Amino acid sequence: MRTASYRSAGLKPAEFAHAAMTAALMGSIAVVSIVIPGAVAFAWLGAVPMGVLSYRHRPAVALSAFIAASLISFLVAGFGGLVSALTSAYMGAIAGQVKRHGRGPATMVTVAAIWGVVVSTLCVGVFAALRYLREVVTAAVAANVGGFAILVRKVPLLGAAADGLNRAVQSWLVHWPVFFGVSVWLIVMFGTSFGWGILNPVLRRIEEVTDLAIEGGLSEIDNSGPVGPLPVALIDVSYRYPSADRNALDSVSLDVNLGEHVAVTGANGSGKSTLMRILAGSTPTGGTVERPAGVGLGRAGGTALVLQHPDSQVLGLRVADDVVWGLARDEHVDIEGLLDEVGLGGMGDRDTTGLSGGELQRLAVASALARQPTMLIADEVTTMVDQAGRRALLNVLDELTQHHRLGLVHITHYPDEAESAHRVVRIGPDDRRTVAIDRIGPEPTGFEAPSQTTVLDIKDVSYDYAQGTAWSRPALRDVSLSVAAGDGVLLCGGNGSGKSTLAWIMAGLLEPGAGECLLDGRPSSEQIGAVALCFQAARLQLLRGRVGAAVAALAGFADTDDESICRALASVNLDPGIADMLVDRLSGGQLRRVALAGLLARSPRVLILDEPLAGLDVEAQADLIDLLTQIRHRGQTTVVISHDVDRLSPLCPRTIRLDRGHLVAAEQASRP
Amino acid sequence: MSRRALMLMRPVPGPSPIHSLWAGTKLVIVLAISVLLTISPTWTAIGLTALLILITAVLAHIPHTCIPSAPRWLWILVIVGSLFTILNGGPPVLQLGSVSIGMGGFVAFLRITALGLVLLGLSAVVSWTTHVADIAPAIADLGRPLRWLRLPVDDWAVTIALAFRMFPMLAEEFRLLAAARRLQPPKPEKQSRSAEVVDLCTAVMVGSIRRAAEMGDAIAARGGTGRISADCGRPGWPDVVAIVPVVALFVFVLESPIAQ
Repeated sequence: MRTASYRSAGLKPAEFAHAAMTAALMGSIAVVSIVIPGAVAFAWLGAVPMGVLSYRHRPAVALSAFIAASLISFLVAGFGGLVSALTSAYMGAIAGQVKRHGRGPATMVTVAAIWGVVVSTLCVGVFAALRYLREVVTAAVAANVGGFAILVRKVPLLGAAADGLNRAVQSWLVHWPVFFGVSVWLIVMFGTSFGWGILNPVLRRIEEVTDLAIEGGLSEIDNSGPVGPLPVALIDVSYRYPSADRNALDSVSLDVNLGEHVAVTGANGSGKSTLMRILAGSTPTGGTVERPAGVGLGRAGGTALVLQHPDSQVLGLRVADDVVWGLARDEHVDIEGLLDEVGLGGMGDRDTTGLSGGELQRLAVASALARQPTMLIADEVTTMVDQAGRRALLNVLDELTQHHRLGLVHITHYPDEAESAHRVVRIGPDDRRTVAIDRIGPEPTGFEAPSQTTVLDIKDVSYDYAQGTAWSRPALRDVSLSVAAGDGVLLCGGNGSGKSTLAWIMAGLLEPGAGECLLDGRPSSEQIGAVALCFQAARLQLLRGRVGAAVAALAGFADTDDESICRALASVNLDPGIADMLVDRLSGGQLRRVALAGLLARSPRVLILDEPLAGLDVEAQADLIDLLTQIRHRGQTTVVISHDVDRLSPLCPRTIRLDRGHLVAAEQASRP
Repeated sequence: MSRRALMLMRPVPGPSPIHSLWAGTKLVIVLAISVLLTISPTWTAIGLTALLILITAVLAHIPHTCIPSAPRWLWILVIVGSLFTILNGGPPVLQLGSVSIGMGGFVAFLRITALGLVLLGLSAVVSWTTHVADIAPAIADLGRPLRWLRLPVDDWAVTIALAFRMFPMLAEEFRLLAAARRLQPPKPEKQSRSAEVVDLCTAVMVGSIRRAAEMGDAIAARGGTGRISADCGRPGWPDVVAIVPVVALFVFVLESPIAQ
């Protein structure tokens, strides 16, 4: 059991994830600061992720992140990258550790001063040892300054100053250990203070919006002991988070047996995810859970999970790597057979990065099955997946109990996904749900006919990714399209069809490689901001802490202009009182509305919505469709990018389909 | 539009003898040559390394289009630097008819520039021929001796592999953030630079912490860490062959007298 002892001594899952995230951030910052000319100033920002990590975790985690970041930076950008990563690592580590121990700036300065002596001694020592490198560097510096002094010698004032500088530099170079040592010490002091100065406000802001405590994750589950998750019986189970004033999950009873397919449905906020955590082994705060032995999370014959977010749950870099990720080295797995079962046969060598959401989720199922689980829990696995991907994924799930000896729990907020289950368990209040479902599908009638004025004119646009390099890949080919004022266009197409690229070109964010994209007769890239783009990840557009400020930033209002902010919020049917809320406390539907409020306040020539329904539950989707119908009624020219054709086409009289960069069909919706 | 972007950590289409080398071999070679160049940055060493890079690039079918185009101001900086250092003069002196130009400072400047380029080129060639998925397993193998010192080498390898997995997600997030900023209208009241940096850092950190939490759950769902790759490459004869020219380079550079 060498593996087991090694696991207990090493990092915990949550620690690994945060260390890796920090290393990736620091690595990219270090690399960018070296390989992009002029970005050196950017290098010290690497102190921020390191500071946050050091503040939250023990030093072993920071060390792991530091090693990974240094290695990655060295690999990609050579010694320069390594130095850049090292510098930001100690700045962040000192600032974070001092904060972690609850000490103030005085401690930070003291620690930095001592550390500065260590670093400068080290640097002087290394530079002393590297005689030849030192001679070349000093010669180059001296020659540069000397040449400058000679060039400006005749210029009054500047000439004298340059001459003085030259003489100073020459003498510094003679006494380089002192000069170099003092400079390095000052850089350490200055850099650590910089790290401290930026880490403090950032940590304060982060703590406002997220819980920095590490508890609550699946990492906390006790995973030792014999394995036997089924049959499991939950009796009157409830759960309350430590700081909450009400239960996240309220007295639920449920049992799951081997060979059963149980669906759990409920609206957002009914505690579905909390129920998943309890089934996976978290201890409830009320009620009892009976199972024969331990849950054995991720262990052979134990419990396997397929989670909501496709990107973050696939851990391997290649498809085959992900299937075996986390298994013991001697365990044999039929990788190809598992991939075949989920419809990914022959894709073992593919990079996981290029997979669509649906493919990633099916891969996650294969990885779960590699553990030969007795219980498999699928938690809202279709939320981030397009329609076609959703069907394929559900087919895989529905057949699991026939091909494997396991009990399947499928948690979902889409009632139709529960139909194939043996048993459906509803949790939370469900009286509102039927109303919400009935409301889907607004009438397509009543929109004003689009006028004859062309707003957006796309002529023979082509675009290549990484144009001119070895990795060049076509994204769009000869696409022509025009959008009239008051028009509504639904742009659909599969993964990699180029629809997002086209949206970015419309918004002026990308310049077409060939052809042109004209907005009111002028290239749209010269008028960035005239076309509003509402991202799928609306959170990235709402950069400020509170809703009001975020709307003001998007709309170009002053932060103090409460009246305009309230009007903007009211225009998307939001209560003005929401302005004081933290952006990170909003639901997915509210996030999209807030972003829309800010964007619409500028009366954009065209409003582009990227996958507006993705990740929302049925009710939030219905509400958003209602709102978008209203917006269309006001005559707003709108382009919707989505693969959800059924629900969004009533909103748009025209549907345009892209396939691998080509425009394949432009249909006019039949109007009643 | 004609500017070529720099693409890193994405191998050019293979296969080639260089692509199929064990990742660990390539790592060790880059590390060794980097150290050699730092200890002894002679023209011979710089020149031979450049030659080695060139041969590797040809063997690996790396097209010249991989080299990114430098912005104009960088060229200007190089020209200004050359001008200053030539003005400064110093031996050796170049005799052009009746005009004598001291090239000493310029040669030193040129040498530093060449050294920087060669070090970058060395990393670039490896990153254009090595799949990121092969790096972490190679590091775990290379670091095996460190386990005797009770260092958690395997944990480090897992962290590196996960960091590589996160890179494209972070890149996409940065791309969206940059786009969101470009789309934003100017503020009526001027926001201070530091407030802007804090805003941006917070947005990045909040998103990353959330993603890290999700990934932590995913790792826990696999029952913790263990294997990170399905098939780990092993060094073979081609790797021994690849080491030979590097050893030759070392011997040649360290044996030859230092040319000042």
